[in-house]
Amino acid sequence: MRVIWLVALNTFKETIRNKVLYNILLVAAVVLLLAMSFGDLSVMSRVQVMSDFGLATMSLTGLLLAVFIGVGVLGSEIADKTVYGVLCKPVDRIQFIIGKFSGLFATLALNFLLIALIFITAITLMTGHAPQPEIFYSIFLLMIEMSIIIAAAIMWSCFTTPTLAAIFTLAFYVSGHLNDLITLNADIQNNPILKTILIILHYALPNLEFFNIRTQVVFELPIAPGHITFAAIYGVLYAALLLLFSSILFSRKDL
Amino acid sequence: MDILNVDKITKIYRRGFKGTRVTAVQDVAFSLTENHITGFVGPNGAGKTTTIKMIMGLVRPTAGRVTMMGKPAESTASRAGVSYVSEQPYFYKHLTVGETIDFSARLVGIKRAAVDSERKRVLEAVELTGREKAKVRSLSKGQQQRLNMASGLLGDPKLLILDEPMSGLDPPSRRLFRSLFKKLGDEGKTIFFSTHVLEDIEAVCRDVVVLDGGKLRFTGSVASLLEKGALGTELVVSSLPDNLTADLRADGLEVSRSPGDETLILIPAPKNPAAYQRKLYEQGIFCLSIQKRTMPLESLLYGANDGLANTAGDGGVS
Repeated sequence: MRVIWLVALNTFKETIRNKVLYNILLVAAVVLLLAMSFGDLSVMSRVQVMSDFGLATMSLTGLLLAVFIGVGVLGSEIADKTVYGVLCKPVDRIQFIIGKFSGLFATLALNFLLIALIFITAITLMTGHAPQPEIFYSIFLLMIEMSIIIAAAIMWSCFTTPTLAAIFTLAFYVSGHLNDLITLNADIQNNPILKTILIILHYALPNLEFFNIRTQVVFELPIAPGHITFAAIYGVLYAALLLLFSSILFSRKDL
Repeated sequence: MDILNVDKITKIYRRGFKGTRVTAVQDVAFSLTENHITGFVGPNGAGKTTTIKMIMGLVRPTAGRVTMMGKPAESTASRAGVSYVSEQPYFYKHLTVGETIDFSARLVGIKRAAVDSERKRVLEAVELTGREKAKVRSLSKGQQQRLNMASGLLGDPKLLILDEPMSGLDPPSRRLFRSLFKKLGDEGKTIFFSTHVLEDIEAVCRDVVVLDGGKLRFTGSVASLLEKGALGTELVVSSLPDNLTADLRADGLEVSRSPGDETLILIPAPKNPAAYQRKLYEQGIFCLSIQKRTMPLESLLYGANDGLANTAGDGGVS
């Protein structure tokens, strides 16, 4: 645990000293400010627009952070060979991967906390009371979703260049959100080979729409009982599986 | 027990789209016993860095195995008590000198309470005291390499594996490193030290492992290596009579007159110098000086000779 903590802390320091993070936060602040004025132009209420924009901004910044910083935290360590300084000490490669993931996840959590503070304060000022608790469930599920994306970014970084890893991570994110469409496509396929491929893809890719309860939150619709728990368990297991796979790949890699 | 045992390791890389096989290291085997400074010599591209990476578990051998203190190199436990100093200093640019040392210290298992004193000790050893707050990226190349060395000294390692640690250093830093290695050697540390600067080997090392073209050329003591390059013994005498000069020349010795009354006699390596010394003494001729003449280490290692092909000598390395 000591080694994981040390690697995580170092990764956290590295990412919060990264200019990319501040640019992402600046983008988030600008979007949220715009959201306040968009409320008057929308058919929805200002609070609904703010909640929608707030959650969408978190999702976008989480993705940007996972892709641009997530790919870099391992890819640049390998390219710059800073990894030698760690792995030549009594450090297991699995500990290194988990530490990297934890550090980046902590940065993401801090990023989400800052954005959440901005838009929850804005909602509280607009309505005069604290937002509904579902908004916090939504933020929680977004964090779980982003943990999968970070784990995927780390996994791609284990065997390809940072640029390709970023492209693969983005593709993974998009296909994860389109997973339901893959199922629909598989159902109408007559070609058995294509059908099998689509079914395999459906099960291999995560269903990232599980983590999206933004519509329910914005329009105050009911959330299915047990959905949050199920989605959280599913997300944690999927991220753990990706990290395990990353560790196996990284353990076999010549540095 | 051997502190490091390299057992017939081979590394074959696959390059390009077709996966062309490139052999970087082939069947290299040697072992180090404790308390010796061993040089690891070879020209650029000889396979030294690949071998060191296999020792440190950064690269997996295609064949063979490496053990450190009896534990396989792939295991985390094998790196306890071992430190590695790379040719280039690879640091996190976002950290300061102090943070870099603290991070490394905690990774090698030094308790939080002891980190401060350990940081002071290692920075003092490499003459970087007072630079704790400086960003790593603000240091010169030489200072970064000294910081790299400081990191390698953390936790009082038993075995230090140094990959061309003096590469690109200025003369004062080289002197500092050499004296540091000698001090570590005197303290009983085992140092495995890669270089292609032969002066460093002669100055610091007791033993040597020579690699060329990915293959082992020699293992043994530096003295035994120099012995292989022995050209003979040089005697300087005064007043050598002409008849004796002719006798010596007839025996295959080189005799040349020096300015003044002195004569230089070279007894080739296979001949016994003591026998000739006695012969001269019986004629009432005394030697003014006796000196071994050896081939420079550079010619011996990198010259066109096969004298080193897969040979093992004495010393702490075999």
